[in-house]
Amino acid sequence: MTAALLPQLAQTLGAAFLEAASADDMDEAAILAGGLLPAVDVLRKGGFNHLLDIGGTDHLPLTPRFEISYHFLAIPDIMQSRALERGSVRSLTSVVPARFRLRVFPDDMNPVIPSLVSIWPNADWPEREVFDLFGVRFDGHPDLRRILMPDDWEGYPLRKDYPLRGLNRRFNPGGKPGAVPPPVTK
Amino acid sequence: MEMSPQQPFITTKLDEFTRWAQMSAIWPMTMGLACCAIEMMSIVSPRYDTSRFGAEVFRSSPRQSDLMIVSGRVSNKMAPILRQLYDQMPDPKWVISMGACASSGGIFDNYAILPGVDSILPVDVYVPGCPPSPDALIYALMQLRREIEAGGKANVLARA
Amino acid sequence: MSTTDLSIFENSPDVTAAAGDERDTLVLSMGPQHPSTHGVLRVMLRLDGETVLSADPEIGYLHTGIEKQAENLFWQQAVTVVDRADYLAPLSNSLCYVLAAERLLGITDIPPRAQVLRVMFTELTRIASHLVQLGTHAIDLGAQSIFMYAFEMRERILEIMEFVTGARMHQSWYRIGGLAIDVPKGFLAKIDDFIARFPERLDDMRAILQKNVIIMDRLVGVGVLSAQDAVAWGMTGPILRASGVPYDVRKAFPYSGYETYDFDVCTQQGGDCYCRFVVRLDEMYQAWRIIKQAREKFPDGPVTIEDRKIIPPPKTEIQHSMEALIHHFKLVSSGFNVPEGHIYQAVESPRGELGMYVTSAGGNKPWRVRWRPPSFYNTQALRKLAPGNLVADVVAIIGSLDPVFGEVDR
Repeated sequence: MTAALLPQLAQTLGAAFLEAASADDMDEAAILAGGLLPAVDVLRKGGFNHLLDIGGTDHLPLTPRFEISYHFLAIPDIMQSRALERGSVRSLTSVVPARFRLRVFPDDMNPVIPSLVSIWPNADWPEREVFDLFGVRFDGHPDLRRILMPDDWEGYPLRKDYPLRGLNRRFNPGGKPGAVPPPVTK
Repeated sequence: MEMSPQQPFITTKLDEFTRWAQMSAIWPMTMGLACCAIEMMSIVSPRYDTSRFGAEVFRSSPRQSDLMIVSGRVSNKMAPILRQLYDQMPDPKWVISMGACASSGGIFDNYAILPGVDSILPVDVYVPGCPPSPDALIYALMQLRREIEAGGKANVLARA
Repeated sequence: MSTTDLSIFENSPDVTAAAGDERDTLVLSMGPQHPSTHGVLRVMLRLDGETVLSADPEIGYLHTGIEKQAENLFWQQAVTVVDRADYLAPLSNSLCYVLAAERLLGITDIPPRAQVLRVMFTELTRIASHLVQLGTHAIDLGAQSIFMYAFEMRERILEIMEFVTGARMHQSWYRIGGLAIDVPKGFLAKIDDFIARFPERLDDMRAILQKNVIIMDRLVGVGVLSAQDAVAWGMTGPILRASGVPYDVRKAFPYSGYETYDFDVCTQQGGDCYCRFVVRLDEMYQAWRIIKQAREKFPDGPVTIEDRKIIPPPKTEIQHSMEALIHHFKLVSSGFNVPEGHIYQAVESPRGELGMYVTSAGGNKPWRVRWRPPSFYNTQALRKLAPGNLVADVVAIIGSLDPVFGEVDR
């Protein structure tokens, strides 16, 4: 099912399509940010109705630097499963789903990607998280603000050039903020 | 406000009585943050049973509790809230820092976690473990009771 | 404190007199310290009397930087930090990470004894996690004695865990390439005892709870999520199955030999809190069935692969062999390298599909461990489920969504 989508994606996206692969776990396609919405359109027509995850990776010494990975799941036959008898535990044969991955590479200097909130409402929080931790903006998101870090935090923690211990300590004994002590080396 | 040998007999006995009352019925606050919270809930379960120590009643409101058991890792976003809750608790109040993360930051040495809750609160008892077994927490509670019985903060309040 | 823009919740009398029906709305900040939020969740509720008009959950109060911490630990060391995300079912997290790393390394010959033990203990963890959910959900609804029963049953499981691995929670027992140590003597007797006693205790709980008038009054018809909505909002796990969609990762994308076990996918059709409750009770029974089958299979043999570049050699060998000593030294001081690549591995955790998208850059530390936390997506659905219900129902809904903030916030 998914193998047929790869040439279709290549055709629809044209220049935004970078490469396709059949990785060990699922088929995937690497695309540029401009091709996200057409690609999602193709996938939805191909039966992918469930957005599993939106995550970010920072490949810093390499360019393009940011990779935002979208994982999709196709759960077929929802209506059929609802027609089954109500109430009791049944030995149901599982529906056989499929997965797909889209790896989106936005621009390094000013990373902006179209938002999927209007298509899948559950894209809201993961997009805010990618913004919070990587600094990638989502165009069309209704409420793009920090979600995991405090609202007045500076910096994007999961970037590779952000130190593990952070830039400064907010609370030291006595409650005063201060510099982060250097890590202990053997 | 020290106890001198010239203190009258009655107030000495009153002090002892107050301290006995305070240590026998310490009401913890539900300050469950992370994994240690599950072990904290286990001390109320029948196997470890803290109600025999008077500490079964976990009050949700800080205004009604004596003991804050900080169970779990304290993040930067949660720290001001923790301080606010501590300030809302009426005296006498005690703090048990449960687990490695609350005592010292634990296995996490990064931008997000406070290196120990004693950056923001005065702690009475530290409990090591990741998570500490409920036995360890009960031992900490017993230590706290001994501390209260011996004097400490309760001393001030006998005069209040 | 977070500085949320509250202008949409403005309730000033001068303003709302003109606005008309804004007059009676109250903004209530529920949490982050609250007995019923199952952890540190803050829900900004907008209420009209007792009815919820909108609910905006705020998370991040337990953000631990686990993903960044894992990038600074060796592959084998990261198992310890990975356990702490979903702290109610630590072995699920471990299993997901270990399977992902094994696939990146190309290890396909995990010994059968290790596979069976992994399945057995992951199912034990599932039962333990559902028991905590049951106990805390019941205590939110007011049934305190169920909490006692559930936690006592859980103690028996934790006894077995401690007997085998040394730790009650956060066992960190799975290793890339097998298990850390084998089970001790006396384990089989303990697990047989558990298998014999558990169904009876579960039936006791069902008898008290499943047709209980109060439970049904409080949970039936509350927080209804249709199958289409469940899929649109990215639900997985018991919530998706309670809405009628029989998707279970163990059946759809089997791992660790699950295709050889006989168990049902528990589904209900209603999509409300009561259906989720029943699904979890049924799942505990199915997990017990799997444990029983695993016990029947229980093969002999080693519990780790033979490759000394991944698994350290036994201590007795180190005393005699120079090569073993060098392997041990190398593993402890600088770990092993994992070939470049990326993989998405998912397991069925008690909360849903727990996925990890692990990227390796060829080094001895993971380049990126991205979690797909089921509770993160499940908690988002609160915005959809809460409006229209009463405040007390919000508590029931949060309990039925079963969020664990260690994995929501990581």
